[in-house]
Amino acid sequence: MSAEVVLRTINLGKQYKKRWAVQNMNLEIHRGDVFGFLGPNGAGKSTTIRMILSLVTPTDGSVELFRHQLSTEREAALAKVAGIVEKPDFYLYLTAYRNMQIAGAMTMGKTPSRTMIMDNLQLVGLASRAFDRVKTFSHGMKQRLGIAQALLCKPELIVLDEPTNGLDPQGMKEVRDLIVRLSREHKMTVFLSSHLLNEVEQVATHMAIINKGKLVAQGSVEDLLHSKLHNVKISVLPVKKSLAILKKLKTVKDAALDGDGISALINNADIPKVVRTLAAAQCKIYSIMPQRSLEEYFLSVTEEN
Amino acid sequence: MMNLVYYELFKTYAKWRTYIGFIAVAVIIPLIMWGMHLQSGHNFVQYQLRSLQSDFLITGNLFNGWSISQIIMNSLWVHVPFLISLVAGDQLAGEATAGTFRLILIRPVSRTRILVSKYIATLFYTASLLIVIAILSLGLGLIIFGSGDLLAVDRDMLTILPEAHLWSRFLLAYSLAIWSMWVVASLAFLFSSFVENAIGPIIATMTVVVALLIISNLPVESFESIKPYLFTTYQDVWQQAFKEPTDWSHIAKSCGVLGVYSAVFYSMTWYIFKRKDILS
Ligand SMILES: Nc1ncnc2c1ncn2[C@@H]1O[C@H](COP(=O)(O)OP(=O)(O)OP(=O)(O)O)[C@@H](O)[C@H]1O
Ligand SMILES: [Mg+2]
Repeated sequence: MSAEVVLRTINLGKQYKKRWAVQNMNLEIHRGDVFGFLGPNGAGKSTTIRMILSLVTPTDGSVELFRHQLSTEREAALAKVAGIVEKPDFYLYLTAYRNMQIAGAMTMGKTPSRTMIMDNLQLVGLASRAFDRVKTFSHGMKQRLGIAQALLCKPELIVLDEPTNGLDPQGMKEVRDLIVRLSREHKMTVFLSSHLLNEVEQVATHMAIINKGKLVAQGSVEDLLHSKLHNVKISVLPVKKSLAILKKLKTVKDAALDGDGISALINNADIPKVVRTLAAAQCKIYSIMPQRSLEEYFLSVTEEN
Repeated sequence: MMNLVYYELFKTYAKWRTYIGFIAVAVIIPLIMWGMHLQSGHNFVQYQLRSLQSDFLITGNLFNGWSISQIIMNSLWVHVPFLISLVAGDQLAGEATAGTFRLILIRPVSRTRILVSKYIATLFYTASLLIVIAILSLGLGLIIFGSGDLLAVDRDMLTILPEAHLWSRFLLAYSLAIWSMWVVASLAFLFSSFVENAIGPIIATMTVVVALLIISNLPVESFESIKPYLFTTYQDVWQQAFKEPTDWSHIAKSCGVLGVYSAVFYSMTWYIFKRKDILS
């Protein structure tokens, strides 16, 4: 029995001018997941998150939050959602406390109580700086203040865009620990993007990998990283026809021409089935060679950039 | 909703740029008065009265707090739109620059409500600036130059407006000035929705206001036909408060046109803001 789906994107896509920043993004996040959204720079992480949080209107597809369509029931959809997009920005000329008041008032319809604000600042270790202007805060402090203001509305889903970006190792550890605590102690569902594989591996239970705006793989961290999904090279004739067939298969990801063959991501268990499908279509398979694990695949994609 | 407006007002008045306007008028108005006082502004009135003095005997103090207030209202006409666009042009663009749209527009509050509260805060600021101008110029004027009747010049006609009615006339004049400055505020607010930096809206608003003011006031034949369509043509409606008898239908018509302009500018802002992708 799987848990309720709290966030679902259906064929989500965004086109800037002529270029697609995100295309055919189908994600599914269940209650209680810590979902790592992994991709190299420019992969489309922030664009996807902006669409999820209603900052950007999708060119294509839709977002569903807690079973509410974002496009038609925005208020209901976002009621239990909080997030930080790209870097945490605040009204620098106001104090941390005032910023918390504003953030809270926007969600709850009334100004949050002093104890509530101070409790949340306490949680992220900023209580002593509550009445300082945010202008005087370091990047790490702003990141933590961002989390504090996000928590103010008692969200059930928190969306974080590269929350450890730009932090020193100590700051990274603090934020990661905080994310794990939110999930374990406060039972929040967390969606976090990252370009660091080891970060996702450390904190996430589920993950998706995207590259160039497209979903490459999605599943539990266990399945994806410690397994079986391999980048394989297939020598097969005729190449074009085989490629078309592979692209249609759900079990095959990221199929593309590679030299005189085809490279694709396939789960070990699915390889016999893929072979059968190709054979049934009269394609001649000369060899199938595992090249890299998903991890190596991701690293190579990152290096390309 | 009240809460949203409260925080928009709070944000507006917590920014230091908001006080540039207040500081500017707090410097300029006493400066003008000081200058007038030194010059002993009687010259000014005497200049206007030249033709009359031969025929009439004028008694009492015609150069007083009321008349100086009127002079100040007349001379701040380009200045005040600038001070207004400084704040109004920053309302939306400023949040884009600071990245704080990412903070507030992901909340379960509709963009329409956020926009309305920002617009109310903008109108409130505009009104507060004019009220400060009114209090400063009338207050200081009456203290320094004393009270008396007001000499109103209407083309070639001179009318003496009795002191007793001047409070209500100035109340009307300033209310009309607020109403007409709301058009400028709405225009700056509209420009503010286009861009991510407040400089653009300020320059754009000033360019439009100055250009239209020139067209409205140039006695050029070919402009006559477009003048009725420019909001600047109606912005001197406050001067009607000093006409005797008061031409209410003129006032109503001008206010109507100005109101339509504000409404159109606001609606355009709403249309753009509702659909805008927040990329900052
Ligand atoms: N405002 C924009 N106009 C045009 N193209 C854009 C815009 N914003 C993003 N893009 C393009 O969309 C693609 C995805 O960008 P996005 O910011 O979503 O990537 P990202 O995964 O968040 O990257 P990073 O790790 O650098 O934050 C990029 O190729 C980028 O060039
Ligand atoms: Mg990004």
